[in-house]
Amino acid sequence: MNQILLNQIKKDFLENNPKFVAAKNVHPLEQRIVLKNYQVIDPESILEYIANDGYQGISKALTMSPKEVINEITISKLRGRGGVGFPTGLKWKFALGYESDDKYVICNADEGEPGTFMDRHILEGDPHNNIEGMMIAGYAIGASKGYIYVRAEYPLAASRLQKAIDDALELKILGDNIFDTDFSFNIEIRLGAGAFICGEETALMESIEGKRGLSRNKPPFPAQIGLFAQPTIINNVETIANVSSIILNGGEWYSKIGTEKSTGTKVFSLSGKTKNKGIFEVPMGITLYDVIYKIGGGMSEGSTFKAAFTGGPSGGVLTKDHLDTIIDFDSLVELGSIMGSGGIIIADQNDCIIDTIKHFMKFNAEESCGKCTPCREGTTILYNMLDDITKGKSSLEDLEKIKHLSKMVSTTSLCGLGQAAPAPIFSALTHFYDEFIDHIEHKTCKTGVCSMPVKGGE
Amino acid sequence: MMSQREKINLEKFELIIDSFQNIKGPLIPILHEAENMYGYIPIEVQNLISKKLKISNAEINGVASFYSMFHTNPTGLHHIGVCTGTTCHLNGSGKLLKHLEHKLGIREGETTSDGQFTIVPVKCIGNCDAAPNITIDGKVYNAVTITQLDELIIECSDK
Amino acid sequence: MKKLIKFKIDGIEYSAKENETVLDVCKKNDIFIPTFCHDDRFAGEAACRMCLVEASNSNKLMTSCTLIPSEGVEIQTKNDKVLEARREVLKLTWASHPNDCVVCDADGDCKLQDYMYYYDVPSEKEYDIKVRDFEIDYSNKFFYIDPSKCILCGKCVNVCDKLVGVGALSFNERGKDTYVSFAFDKGMDYSMCVSCGNCVSVCPTGAIVEKSKVKFRMKETRKVKTTCPYCGVGCQFNVVLKGDTVVRIDPIDTTPNEGLLCVKGKFAFRYINHPDRLKTPLIKKDGIFVEASWQEAYEVIVNKINETKRAFGPSAFAGLASAKCTNEENYLFQKFIRAVIGTNNVDHCARLCHASTVAGLATTLGSGAMTNSIEEVKHHDVIFVIGSNTTETHPVIGNFMRQARKNGAKIIVAEPRRIDLADEAEVFVQIKPGTNVALLNGMMNVIYNEKLYDEDFIKTRTEGFDEMIEVIKQYPPERSAEICGCTKEGIIKAARIYAAGKKAGIYYAMGITQHSNGTNHVKSVANLAMMTGSVGKESTGINPLRGQNNVQGACDVGGLPDVYPGYQKVHIPEIHNKFEKAWGAKLSNKVGLSLPHIINGAYNNLIKFLFIMGENPIVSDPDITHVRESMDKIDFLVVQDIFMTETAEYADVVLPASTYAEKDGTFTNTERRVQRVRKAIDPIGDSKPDWVIIQELMTLLEYPQKFNHPSEIMDELASVAPIYSGIDFERINEIGLQWPVFGKDHPGTKFLHKDKFSRGLGLFTPVDYLGARELPDKAFPLTLTTGRVLYHFHTKTMTGKNNEINEIVPVNFIEINQFTADKYNLHDMQEVIVKSRRGETVAEVHITDKIGDLTVFMPFHFADGANMLTNTELDATCDIPELKVAACEIVEKV
Ligand SMILES: Cc1cc2nc3c(=O)[nH]c(=O)nc-3n(C[C@H](O)[C@H](O)[C@H](O)COP(=O)(O)O)c2cc1C
Ligand code: SF4
Ligand code: FES
Repeated sequence: MNQILLNQIKKDFLENNPKFVAAKNVHPLEQRIVLKNYQVIDPESILEYIANDGYQGISKALTMSPKEVINEITISKLRGRGGVGFPTGLKWKFALGYESDDKYVICNADEGEPGTFMDRHILEGDPHNNIEGMMIAGYAIGASKGYIYVRAEYPLAASRLQKAIDDALELKILGDNIFDTDFSFNIEIRLGAGAFICGEETALMESIEGKRGLSRNKPPFPAQIGLFAQPTIINNVETIANVSSIILNGGEWYSKIGTEKSTGTKVFSLSGKTKNKGIFEVPMGITLYDVIYKIGGGMSEGSTFKAAFTGGPSGGVLTKDHLDTIIDFDSLVELGSIMGSGGIIIADQNDCIIDTIKHFMKFNAEESCGKCTPCREGTTILYNMLDDITKGKSSLEDLEKIKHLSKMVSTTSLCGLGQAAPAPIFSALTHFYDEFIDHIEHKTCKTGVCSMPVKGGE
Repeated sequence: MMSQREKINLEKFELIIDSFQNIKGPLIPILHEAENMYGYIPIEVQNLISKKLKISNAEINGVASFYSMFHTNPTGLHHIGVCTGTTCHLNGSGKLLKHLEHKLGIREGETTSDGQFTIVPVKCIGNCDAAPNITIDGKVYNAVTITQLDELIIECSDK
Repeated sequence: MKKLIKFKIDGIEYSAKENETVLDVCKKNDIFIPTFCHDDRFAGEAACRMCLVEASNSNKLMTSCTLIPSEGVEIQTKNDKVLEARREVLKLTWASHPNDCVVCDADGDCKLQDYMYYYDVPSEKEYDIKVRDFEIDYSNKFFYIDPSKCILCGKCVNVCDKLVGVGALSFNERGKDTYVSFAFDKGMDYSMCVSCGNCVSVCPTGAIVEKSKVKFRMKETRKVKTTCPYCGVGCQFNVVLKGDTVVRIDPIDTTPNEGLLCVKGKFAFRYINHPDRLKTPLIKKDGIFVEASWQEAYEVIVNKINETKRAFGPSAFAGLASAKCTNEENYLFQKFIRAVIGTNNVDHCARLCHASTVAGLATTLGSGAMTNSIEEVKHHDVIFVIGSNTTETHPVIGNFMRQARKNGAKIIVAEPRRIDLADEAEVFVQIKPGTNVALLNGMMNVIYNEKLYDEDFIKTRTEGFDEMIEVIKQYPPERSAEICGCTKEGIIKAARIYAAGKKAGIYYAMGITQHSNGTNHVKSVANLAMMTGSVGKESTGINPLRGQNNVQGACDVGGLPDVYPGYQKVHIPEIHNKFEKAWGAKLSNKVGLSLPHIINGAYNNLIKFLFIMGENPIVSDPDITHVRESMDKIDFLVVQDIFMTETAEYADVVLPASTYAEKDGTFTNTERRVQRVRKAIDPIGDSKPDWVIIQELMTLLEYPQKFNHPSEIMDELASVAPIYSGIDFERINEIGLQWPVFGKDHPGTKFLHKDKFSRGLGLFTPVDYLGARELPDKAFPLTLTTGRVLYHFHTKTMTGKNNEINEIVPVNFIEINQFTADKYNLHDMQEVIVKSRRGETVAEVHITDKIGDLTVFMPFHFADGANMLTNTELDATCDIPELKVAACEIVEKV
């Protein structure tokens, strides 16, 4: 396979299929980069992918040096979409810097954060784009092997990826000496097995290695000692899905989209009490208002907006006061929340904040890998304490204890799960302190969701 | 996906293990195979894997018990799960789960005495836009009501 | 060398080497950092979070066990933030921990307790969480596991997996439900546990604790560092004592065992304070032992010696030194036999295990000992184990082999039995007992034909290659495979893997040596190693594993009939003169009788007086019936031992000796390391250390010896034996020294034959396959091979005094495979009679797939057991008997 053949395929295909269906349901506020092929092409057809400029990115990348490729990513200011927002170019640069014959690229498709489902749609809708992105990443850091760690709950995504890999191998786009260069790349799919912690990059690597998914301490970072103790980069599905477009259109182009420090677009998944739900891709910097009232079409019948949860069990809560807040990495951190991987859950007057953060803490406690003491014990204790609040068994003193323990768990835990587990508590305390008082002092819950002895009225 | 369980046949499983010979870190994929074939990972299979991969059986047991999708005891013919992800939670999945538990007379994680059903724990399955969701044998059912849940169970039992 | 990193801890400047963590630096400088999960022997887990410190370049607290300091960084180890974090981690650890310290076995020996005390954490629970509630697993005989008291530091799992290499323990479940258990919660029996107890040693709390027979609190105890009295590894440990009773053994993380022990070293110590210990001299009167005073006993012995000497001369005497006694004792013993009695008839059971090594390697390389060190085992890239069941006979070396495999080393195993290491091996060639030479020649044939040999090494370092290769050419792998009863592919694969090794090590033991042509087997091993240039380098060499704790030392110091201390030949005039001068006595220059000839001599009435120090030939020697008859015929027998052994029963006088715990001295382990043995308690009863007894006897025989302390004996030894000349007690105090140590400035020798063999050029010897002397036939159609098991040591004198050990391996057994069992219609655990031309014994049938068709295995530990059957055929060069192969037959017991 080479560039000429690639163009030929595209030409032939377009001649036989004069028009593509336009993407369905694209909202005027949207700009689709990651989702450029979503519901446009048949995800199981490599030819359609190629016809829509597929594999042009890797083809172009191979004419550049690895450093130039990384440079383009750096210029784009692309930040990881897996939650932390680490600059992707920098991550790749580190990995390039460590010498080794075996390096690895991992695509993190474990999407376990409750309320998120964009990675699933991205993979199901356009698997080749991820393969292409991984190839570019592999070329950039000098890796010839990639893994996609897909959660087992996403069988369709996994099977489409497998078909995409098989088809790419058949066309010799993947495999040895890609586009007649020295670059070879292979990809293997690995299924998770029901452990949220395996979305954490080091636990994920342990899992691929065939071990219990226990997080490793960092440093050393994966770029130095990663999978099978070799230099490894691990990127989220959406991060990787941006890569081919950046290479094709240039980092400069990408950096102009979105906000100053959070460039590009972001795919969000919207669920909860709005009229419209689902995924959408907008430039970074959309306001919460636009999300709910424009894209979400407003609240559903009988619902009034009460809160928006972002960042799931590691995140926080936004209120009416934040409707004008723009959503990007840094703005939300300022408010004590995080954008996380882009799941937005809208709650209404019938939803109890305490109950929800208790639910988050239950999730964290159940998903804690159990390796480090503060998270293993602390998340359960925090859950018990929140449970007591929802049962009217707490005092204000206990609230102080919760605050203290939350702080300690987040400062002493080993990995992101424990470190972020108390985040929703802090956020709720800041923005819904009244609700705590209702539960603790007045033993009431306005929503009646908790098993409170007394049900309060509006 | 798995409404039939295979009989344990170590020779056959040995071939499956061999088919993973060329991949690094083959344990989890092999455990998936066992789980799919038998509905759980029998001890004799874990011992076989241990011998073939030169990993101690204790470690294999440790790995199998870590992941919620792997079972170390036999499970029911049908795996039913109610998603307890946040959006499903906000949309009343708790009630669905209680109903299911009551109906089948078992708790989450348990198997009915007739070996028909196991209630498996399900965390968010990425269908939040259609909450609440349930899964039966890996298949996702969206926006499920209690009535629908009852119907689905009956449908399953008939099979 | 990379440059040091300078940084500050609590305001004071320190420096760290490359890859050193903050914790490492703190430890070195006595800066206290609490840890639960950390162990120097494996990479930081950072799980317990106790070791958190603050670093000026991070806004998060960092675990010092993983933190590599960067230049100029400032570390705080005890500011408020750090202390608060530690206290909180303790509170959280404590929250789910049972609050029963008062009755806990680990009270006073628990890090959680200590740290809570130091950091003022109240015992009242601050947080509400369910206290861990798991069933206690009592299934192991020596220790129990209480997951409720486990703080999940993971050390036991890591030690078992990463260091021991067994992986019997694992974490189960996850999150707060995590607990440690044996596989499938089925207890120890089902698991791979080998009861080494290394998990017990590392557990910081009361979660894994020894089932102690003696109740004690740590504050009541004291510790004495010493050397393990079991196998040749020479593990270092602390004997923990309450009063005069040994209550526990704690391994020490030092050379050579790096904090590891095996089941015997860790748990089989009950014999020391056992009620059956000999406590007073016994004199046999009318066939019955009568207690006597030392003076009476000495008197009888001295009179008898004088009488016998007068009547029959010195050559009617013989003495058996002991591979279990110290170097000093053996030195004195052989001096006693040589200088006081006047004969070289002194030998010991090394004759039965490595006489062929001493002979075979001395001729080919120049000295007969392990060429590498134990610490080098981990770093091989190929390990070829032949005729050694290393994980059972030298467990800690076995652990290091497993570590090597985990580091990527390839293991080759050639053995009649599918030993545990075979499961770890890249290739396992199951050979018939006694066919090693055919196998080795076959491998060399492949290496020759495929040109995998090291031409340069052969040219510059060796001689005799061409003659040897002529023989090798006659062993194409097809032929070897046929002789060995294995596949030719196995031989070819083994050859290729071995030859490809850049750091290949051969490990062998009695499977190579105990043959009627054992010396040739050893030479053949040397041929293979020299052919590929795999000797004389670090982590590359030939390594005979010496069986007993001090069998190496007993040989080194002259417990052999042909050499004085330091392998100096008795028949060479200059040497003979030198010793006559040094010892001020007339010495015989005639090579003395070896052990089998001493026994035969007794049988033939030529040996009238036999003095046995700590040996038990009635269990250990071949053809027990013959040994018994010989002992019966001896005119006068003295046995000096710690228990009434099977042999002592035959004695005229029995002298009570002291165990290793009751005396000072040295042992020399299998890697030639001379190590300290330290007195922990006073001799039990009226017993005396062997050196004291021998010294007193020598003095009474008008050869006064006035050593005040064993160190003085060592000084004398050093003055006569060049390879020990640099050794004294002070120099070996910490980790010992490996001989040769030529002089006080010599650092000792880590590996032998660097640049040049001890004999100059390495000598290739053509070795043809000869086969065992007794092969199966119609009357005795099975091939019997013998060996050790993990739990017992030698003739069971010491291990047999531990109930738990006896429960695990209670009676003599015979391993046979299903094919053979079917042929004889036998079922598992059935008692049978096994017969050979020499005798018969009873054994319990163990059906196993470990062993090949028509081959059977029996341990040699049991009295009237395997050695009732074994063959006394000797190797012509070194007199080692063919203990490894005999023909036998099974008959049903009625
Ligand atoms: C508990 C936990 C769960 C995580 N789960 C995911 C996940 O499901 N998907 C993901 O992409 N990143 C997840 N992450 C983040 C990853 O550790 C890692 O930062 C990410 O894969 C890096 O990719 P990026 O740089 O492209 O964002 C998780 C982190 C933590 C602490
Ligand atoms: S923070 Fe939680 S999930 Fe992370 S290592 Fe610790 S116990 Fe495991
Ligand atoms: S010693 Fe560092 S975390 Fe346990």
